[in-house]
Amino acid sequence: MLLTNIKRIFIGIYSILKGLKVTFKNMFKKSVTLNYPIIKQDMKERFRGMVDLYPDKCVICYQCIKICPTAALDLAHKTLEDNKTKNITIFTFNAELCCFCGFCEEICPTDAIFLNKMYEVSYFDHKDLLKIDLMSSEKYKHVDGGVS
Amino acid sequence: MISMLLKGLAALGFIAVSAMFLIWLERKVSAWIQNRLGPMMTGFQGTLQPIADTIKLLLKEDIVPNGVDFISWWLAPFFVTVPVVMAFLVIPFSAKWIILDLNVGALYICSVTSLCVLGIFMAGWGSNNKYSLLGGMRSAAQIISYEVPLLLSVLLVVMQAGTLSMQGIVHAQHNEWYIFKPHLALAFIIYFIAATAEVNRVPFDIPEAESELVAGYHTEYTGMKFAMFFVAEYTNMFIISAIGTTLFLGGWQGPFLPGIVWFLLKAYGLIFLLMWIRWTLPRLRMDQMMSFAWKVLTPLALLNLLVSGWFMVN
Repeated sequence: MLLTNIKRIFIGIYSILKGLKVTFKNMFKKSVTLNYPIIKQDMKERFRGMVDLYPDKCVICYQCIKICPTAALDLAHKTLEDNKTKNITIFTFNAELCCFCGFCEEICPTDAIFLNKMYEVSYFDHKDLLKIDLMSSEKYKHVDGGVS
Repeated sequence: MISMLLKGLAALGFIAVSAMFLIWLERKVSAWIQNRLGPMMTGFQGTLQPIADTIKLLLKEDIVPNGVDFISWWLAPFFVTVPVVMAFLVIPFSAKWIILDLNVGALYICSVTSLCVLGIFMAGWGSNNKYSLLGGMRSAAQIISYEVPLLLSVLLVVMQAGTLSMQGIVHAQHNEWYIFKPHLALAFIIYFIAATAEVNRVPFDIPEAESELVAGYHTEYTGMKFAMFFVAEYTNMFIISAIGTTLFLGGWQGPFLPGIVWFLLKAYGLIFLLMWIRWTLPRLRMDQMMSFAWKVLTPLALLNLLVSGWFMVN
């Protein structure tokens, strides 16, 4: 009886010391979190952020508009007088409707439309979220660290 | 008279700064152990975070919940904080840095620090809240139980040194720190475990177990009153480490460095050990804790006292 108790005490002390060793080692390990607003994590290749566009590459084929399951994209164009050149008049993106499926990126024949790596997607005004002008080069500049 | 007043003010200043530093250290140590960064934004490595917290607590509304027992509820934070400040009277920071070297220093500091339980129980009773009441009752039971082995181990040091004066005990360790004597090493381990329970730290933090009692006895307190509980808790930690340093680790004695540096190094080392233990071990159950105090620690301390006393006499 006494021996079992002494054995139990020793096992208890040993396990406490073992636990303390684990936490002591942990103290010198590299932190797994980042100092967030100052240091930001790079998103991985397949990350789907906000819808973005290279306006020069777009051939106005309307594929993205047709495939979009939530009708988040809005595109209009006008044909110039020579009946050959088309110009985009409106290309807007409704971030409220978007479900970030990435179909537009997949279907686009010229890789003009794509989903960027942005993850800080809050806006100060709800209205700004509904009509993001994809033709503007400053569309995501207002968000801290936004890429366009 | 004026010099005593100045020393008292210095002690108050030290309490405020030390509590702030300890709160920052606790957050950093927990972060390091959990592979996080901890506070980083305010000042270098988040050193100004406790100041931001203090300002936040000062500006908060002082809410009085419905149905509190006003007098005991209102007085409780003072009853917790005042003994903590009183204990600084006899802590020997160095050969000359002591407010008053009472000839019953060890007895004084042990009796004053155990007054805290009164404030804690008043807070638990006065809050008119079941969690607070449970926390207060558990705290009273725990602190009174662990007082016994703590005092028995302190008594052994007093027997060895032959004096109750804190400076006298430090001087008695001139040749060899008491922790290097086997019976006093055992006494130190008992003291450290009992002291951890005295200040309600993990693994003995049942009075304020977050996951079952919200925050225990200080659930209903806001603003400055909560801050007083918080400061008292962290200063209590410093006090038990300071007592441990004085009684077992040779106090301010050490080579090369000045006494105050040695004292603070040892005291904060013990505090770091307390924090390290807190972020390693899980919480005990109430019955486990009580049976550990009465069935293991108290007999062990008593046996240690009797056997070493017998050897001292013969």
